[in-house]
Amino acid sequence: MSDTPAVSVNHLTKVFKGTLVKGAFRAVHDLSLTVKAGEVYGLIGPNGSGKSTTMKVILGLLKPTEGDTSIFGVPSTEVASRSDVGFLPENPYFYKHLNGRETLHFYGSLCGMRGAKLKERASEMLALTGLEDAATRRVGGYSKGMLQRLGLAQALIHEPRLLVLDEPTAGVDPAGSRKIRDLIIEFRSRGITVLVTSHLLEQMQEVCDRVGIMAHGRMVREGRLEDLIAVENQTEMVIENASPALLAQIDALVKAAGSDTRLLRSGHPRTTLERLFLEATNEAKKS
Amino acid sequence: MSDATTSSAAAKTPKVRFSPQRVWTMAMATVTQLIRMKILAFLVLFCLLAVGAGFAFSVINPEQQLSLLKSVTLGALQIFSIVIGVVSTALLLPKDLEDRTLYTILSKPVPRFDYLLGKLIGVLMLIGGGLIVMDAILSLILWMRQSLLFDEAVNHLRMEKMDSAEAVTQMREIVARQGLTWNLHWAVWAIFLKATVVTTVALLLSSIASSTLFTIVITFCVTIIGHGEALIREFFFTPNLSGMTGRAAALLLAAICPDLAQFDIVDSVVNGEIVPWSAVLNMTSLAAIYVTVYMFITHLVFAEKEL
Repeated sequence: MSDTPAVSVNHLTKVFKGTLVKGAFRAVHDLSLTVKAGEVYGLIGPNGSGKSTTMKVILGLLKPTEGDTSIFGVPSTEVASRSDVGFLPENPYFYKHLNGRETLHFYGSLCGMRGAKLKERASEMLALTGLEDAATRRVGGYSKGMLQRLGLAQALIHEPRLLVLDEPTAGVDPAGSRKIRDLIIEFRSRGITVLVTSHLLEQMQEVCDRVGIMAHGRMVREGRLEDLIAVENQTEMVIENASPALLAQIDALVKAAGSDTRLLRSGHPRTTLERLFLEATNEAKKS
Repeated sequence: MSDATTSSAAAKTPKVRFSPQRVWTMAMATVTQLIRMKILAFLVLFCLLAVGAGFAFSVINPEQQLSLLKSVTLGALQIFSIVIGVVSTALLLPKDLEDRTLYTILSKPVPRFDYLLGKLIGVLMLIGGGLIVMDAILSLILWMRQSLLFDEAVNHLRMEKMDSAEAVTQMREIVARQGLTWNLHWAVWAIFLKATVVTTVALLLSSIASSTLFTIVITFCVTIIGHGEALIREFFFTPNLSGMTGRAAALLLAAICPDLAQFDIVDSVVNGEIVPWSAVLNMTSLAAIYVTVYMFITHLVFAEKEL
């Protein structure tokens, strides 16, 4: 796999111009992050933390006030940077008058695909997202979960190397949500890089290799998930076949004990991503 | 990441250029959307009603009958091609933004100009298609009607015992001049050109404003002012009519608004006058210049638009 990062954000600042009534608004402040090729990167943060703005800058929908972003080494300001990206916005809507298959043909055609290859790929994507039965139904009659899956299908239609998913499970029922989670895991196994935002932190914990936590437009924590959720000032011991007495004098006994009593693992106990998220965003609020 | 990595990756990635296929895809999606919104059916139905209305008034002679039919139908086509151009364009862009469809389109390798041009061509294809259908229907009705009216007029002359060869020839000439001629198609072409210019203005305003209502209202204002460019010019060039501020405002209006009166050949066609080729060529060239200039400005605005 290439060393070129899938996504690179360097000292990004985005300020929205104010009006006569409202002043300027700084949505993102000096943000830097890198998403390596082939990993699943979760960008999490409370509403208004700047996640969607960051994604829009990465996709070239917004221009940075300062700093720059690139996709596989190509600056986001160039249209060519979008050749390798599939994007699923939050609560996507598509042209209601088209059916599912026509929608995929439309997006594939925009990417320069045509003919048998496009038809084959559209069928493949409908099968992957479980929409084969609804392929000829107008999109206007799709449920929220179906729209989300159609959004995933259109994002994947041109075989991108990077998927950008903004709240992919928002408003989707638990079964649909699990399906999307499984798809993300499958994308990773196929070598597709995924940049995802979600409020469902348990799911993020299940699928992400690395996460970045944003609050008030800044990155407040970033790193490998395993490292981030480790509690540095505590030690966890997992003991097999421990007696109550042994538990009472645990340190001494473990050292002294022989025979069947073994120290299987020693390290830092894990908190949950949810707790870490709340702590991190509260710290940012206080400061 | 080093600048060298970025520049080498950027150099390796092929540039995304203007693509007629992509524009065609956008245009076809727009046409499908508008057709499934029943807009074309509405246009055709209304214009058929207008054709019917052309027969509803009492008339004195065949010339008046044919003239009235053309006047009512071409008038209706003119109004509705503009209304559909303005309303469709004003609705489509904000709706794409509101529904986030624009995000999924522009996050693909789609230059913003291709998107805009596709939308414009889609709306114009719908208007053009509607006008072709109406031109065909009107031509057929005029052709049938002129034969009938000529026979009726000759019978009338015969009853009055005034059916000399000279009188019949004169009647044939009158009916033929007011009947089906190429002038009718040029009138429909002029209506299309005017609708094209107004639709491009609507697209420009739609790329600036976020409100559909604002776009519709301002475009109709520009359309009304555009029909009065001659008055504005007269106001500007008559020194005693106003002060510097008034003249500056007149100059600004004249510069911003297209001169839509240049496309007004419907009255001449209704009166049976011949439209010369040079006039058609001038109108077409003027429309091409307006569309190019307005599209260029629209592209500049939309390329910088924060989505």
